[in-house]
Order: sequence, then structure tokens, then C-alpha cells
Amino acid sequence: MFKHLFKLIWNKKKQNSLLIVEILLSFMVLFAVFAFGINSYRNYVKPIGINYEHVWVINYNNSLKTQNSDSLTLFYEGLLRNIKAMPQVIDAGYSSSNVPFSTSHTNNTISANGKEVPSVNQFSGDINYINVLGAKMQAGRWYNKEDFASKQNITVINNALKEKIFGNTDAVGKYLNYGDDKTHSKTKIIGVLNDIKFNGDYQRAEVSMYNRLDTGAYHWLTSILVKVDPKADAAFESRLYKLMANALKNSNIELEHLPNKLVAYNKFTLVPLIVMSIVAAFLIINVALGIFGVLWYNINKRRGEIGLRRAIGASGNSVSSQLVAEALIVATFSLIIGAFFAVQFPLLNVFDLPASVYLLALALAILFIYILVLICSLYPGKQAAAIYPAVALHEE
Amino acid sequence: MISLQNIEKVYRTTNIETLALNNINLDIAKGEFLSIMGPSGCGKSTLLNIMGLLDAPSKGQIKIADQTTGNLSDKQLAKFRNQKLGFIFQSYHLINDLQVLDNVELPLLYRDTTAKERRQLASEALEKVGLSNRMKHFPTQLSGGQRQRVAIARAIVGRPEIILADEPTGNLDSAMGNEIMDILINLNKNDGTTIIMVTHDEHMAQKTHRLVRLFDGSQVL
Repeated sequence: MFKHLFKLIWNKKKQNSLLIVEILLSFMVLFAVFAFGINSYRNYVKPIGINYEHVWVINYNNSLKTQNSDSLTLFYEGLLRNIKAMPQVIDAGYSSSNVPFSTSHTNNTISANGKEVPSVNQFSGDINYINVLGAKMQAGRWYNKEDFASKQNITVINNALKEKIFGNTDAVGKYLNYGDDKTHSKTKIIGVLNDIKFNGDYQRAEVSMYNRLDTGAYHWLTSILVKVDPKADAAFESRLYKLMANALKNSNIELEHLPNKLVAYNKFTLVPLIVMSIVAAFLIINVALGIFGVLWYNINKRRGEIGLRRAIGASGNSVSSQLVAEALIVATFSLIIGAFFAVQFPLLNVFDLPASVYLLALALAILFIYILVLICSLYPGKQAAAIYPAVALHEE
Repeated sequence: MISLQNIEKVYRTTNIETLALNNINLDIAKGEFLSIMGPSGCGKSTLLNIMGLLDAPSKGQIKIADQTTGNLSDKQLAKFRNQKLGFIFQSYHLINDLQVLDNVELPLLYRDTTAKERRQLASEALEKVGLSNRMKHFPTQLSGGQRQRVAIARAIVGRPEIILADEPTGNLDSAMGNEIMDILINLNKNDGTTIIMVTHDEHMAQKTHRLVRLFDGSQVL
């Protein structure tokens, strides 16, 4: 019977082509939504890697007239001391402007161990950086005061970058290069930091490097991270603002809270997923109506055939099952084409997502389409079973 | 072979009650070729549908091949039709999207047969009606007479004991009609198939063993 139905649909492929295209389109959108959703969920359940609660970011611009490094160092070290001396400040430290959950990014290609890794995030922080953020070293150490006097090129990498270059082996004490330029002096890895989801809850921790801030950095630094007491209120925030404004005349001072930045960034990430879900929902409704309409039309157009099948030995149930099976076979045509395109994503490593995300999305999209087609074909199938053979045969 | 006792068929709408068949009593012997005649709307097709178990009588009892059919379920009726009965219609009722061979195989799909067996039986049936050279054609590529021969092959492929033919020559010219009639006569004569044929054509009816005439739902001859 399956071969018979397959042949029947194949011979009517022109009539079914629109429905096949419609299901294919819906499948592709569903596949994208599921892949995006699964990836976001998998990222969401992973720890964020920092304790961002009660961490504030002070953004400023260097309004000092002096360009002398020693004077700048003295000024900014003094400013940080003043901030740390405030009663509700637990810790504070300078950071590059790409603080967690900001849209600012700095990337570089690095090479090590015979491998080249593009788009490695570059962060910079002082010795207080990991304490303020509550990040944890997985191996080696973070920078100390002696490092700032040292002339050796050193760096801290995150676990994702360590896994990518060195796999399960220890990375501490090994070297890497910036770009593919082997002429530059090598940079020694002194520590491996836990993965931090800088781009919010729904995005993975990217491969990252954390560079030390030296005294020359005060020329371009624009951010201070401050860990405050949970009791820190608006009055304290105002005092902190005043301190900054008094220290840096004519500077634009902005105070942000990391939890708020996270919420904003998460929304930014979820918007495409929501938009895609809405498009998918419309397409699904369209497909559902399409399948329903086509089957309904088929029943009316094929009353004679249904009557004949009943006459030659088909029961009402087998007529109903046949129509449902036909709809599922039409869906299978679409899904075979769709699956061919979908498997290219893990094969070509599009968007650099794990293959398991694509495969799970593929399975879910297939399952969803089959369930949808099954539901939409049940009622028309039932209607077909109710056709009275004597009447249907007489109509022809 | 077929026994109809006190068959009555009433069609009811909210306001009107139409008596399509009135107290029909008919016994058809095994191997008989019976024709049913009568003016349009006299109940010929209704009677044939009732004999083919495609419609149920409002009253009365039907026995086919010693089996009382009144209490059979939808599934049992379908199986009974598939194994005991073959149908031929005036408008052929072929599926245009299937090749001739696939059309003939149709009744066997509802039986426990292998693809090879189906192909074999369908080829034999097509050979019997002289269409073995048209197996791969689609119905739309055939003439009316050829289409009706395909329909006959489909009716006989399951080797049923009874064939019910509803005006099988109604859409054909006299030459083609005679060809179809000859095939039916041969089936009756050579295979012993019981045939009940509804016709408007007196000439065709004369070729059968017995003629039953209906008028306003009642048997007059």
C-alpha cells in the first residue's frame, strides 16, 4: 500500500508541488528557530562565570590635560584609592571598555601549538579585575603587582581558548603569538580563567584573552568596575558620581549596573529568536491551513475515487488512513529536501555551533512537521471515511 | 447465490419520504447472467447498490453466498465486497493518476498479497480483456471501450464470484458496447461468474439469461 500511495503522489507531484514548497519553507524556518532556541537554552543553563550582582560600571572619558604618564598614573591610582575608600565599596578596578554585557568588542587572531584561532576576544584588567567580577582561576594565577613591573609578555586565557588550542593538556607556562606573525616575541600564558558569558545568558563564552593593564593604559582607559555592598543605594550612587565628577572635570560620567546591562543584553539576544518564532508561527498556521485546505479539496475532488475504493474493499478507516498517509508522504518529500539542506549546517560548520545542536533541531523540526501534518489531516480523513460509497459513485 | 427478501428502500428528508424500492424478492442462481431494466429513477442502481452492499435496505434481508449481510460491520462488509464482488460502472471510475496495471491491481491492495502476486494477477486480468499491451498507459490515453475493459479487468482481478455492472455499455457506441458485452458473456460462460447488469439497452439485455424489469421501485417482471 505504501508503494501504491507513493506512486499516486509521485504521479501528482505537480499538484502537490506548492504544498511541498510550503512545508519545506516551514521546515527550514522551524529548523532555524529550533537550532537558535536549543543553542540559546544550552548556553543559558551554563554558569555565567562571574558574580555580576552589585557590580557597577563607571564610564568616563579622560578629560585631564596632562599627557604625562607618571602624572596620569598618580592621578588614576589616587582616584581608585578614593573609590575603594568609600564605605559601601567592596572592591574596584580598571577595565577595558568591553566590560561584561556591553556591545563593545575587541578581537584578535592568535596562534599557538600549530593552531590559529581567529576572533579571540581581548579584555584588559588590573589586578583587582577578577575579584570585582568574582571570576575564578582554573589554573595558574591572575596578575600581581610584580607583573606590572615585568617586561615579559604574559597573558591569561579563558578555558574555552585553552580547550581549543591545548585540549586537555595544561596551558600554563606555554606560549602563544598574536596573529600569524612569528617574528613578534611570544606571550607566555600564566593562568587559565573560567569561561565568562560576556554576551549575556543566551550566548556562549567566547574564546578570550585577558591582558594586564600597564601604566600607559591610563591614556585610553574609560571604565572602572566597582563591587558595592548590597545596601548601596541611590544616595551612595550619587556620592560616587559626585566623586568622579569632581575628580574629572568636564568629563562625561555614566554609571551603569551590570544586572541591568545583562537584562538589556538578553533582550537584544532574544529579539531575533522572538521575530523568528513569530515568522515560524505564521508559516505553521499557513501550512496547517494549506494542508487542511488541500486535503479538503482533494476529498471533494476525489469522491469518486473514495467511493470506488470503498466498493472494491476499503473500509472507512482504511480510506481515512490513506488520506493521512498521503499527507505524511507529501510532508516526507519536503522533509527529505529540507534535511538535505539542514545537514549542510553541521557539515560546513556554519555559525560555529556544535553539530549536536543542528541534529537535535533537525529531529525536532521533522517531528513537529509530522505532528502538524498528522493533526491537520485527521479531520479531513475522518470526513472522507464518512462518504457514502453509493452516493459518491453515483455523483461521478 | 444472491437472495433478496422483501427489500424496501426509503429515502427520507425532513419533509419528503421517497420509496425507491418496494418489496423486492429476487433469487439469483450461481452462474446466472441477469439484467435489470427499467426507466430512469425506477430504482435499478439502488437495487444494484444494495446487492453490492454499498447501500443498506430500509427493510428486508440480503443473503449473498449463504452469508446474511445485515449484521456485518463496516470492516466486514469491505472485506466481503473485496472477496466476493466485482464492480463495473458506466463511468469506469478509473484513477487517472495511475497506470492501467496499477488501476487493475487496486482491489488486491486490500488483500494480503505480495507485489509480485498482484502484478501477476493484474497482468492475467488485462490479458483476458485484451489489453496486455496497454499496461503502462494512463487511462486518459485510452478510448472509452478500452477504459471499460480496464474496469472489467479490475473487477475480475480478485476472481470474485459475482460481478455487478451498472450500465457498462452506457457510455459506449454499439460496436464497443458489443465488445464489452462479449467479454462479460465469456466471463459468465467460461469462468461461471454470476453477473448482474443494469442496462437501458434492450438488445444487450436480450443476451443475458434473465431479465428483471422495475417500475417505480417495484418488480414488474
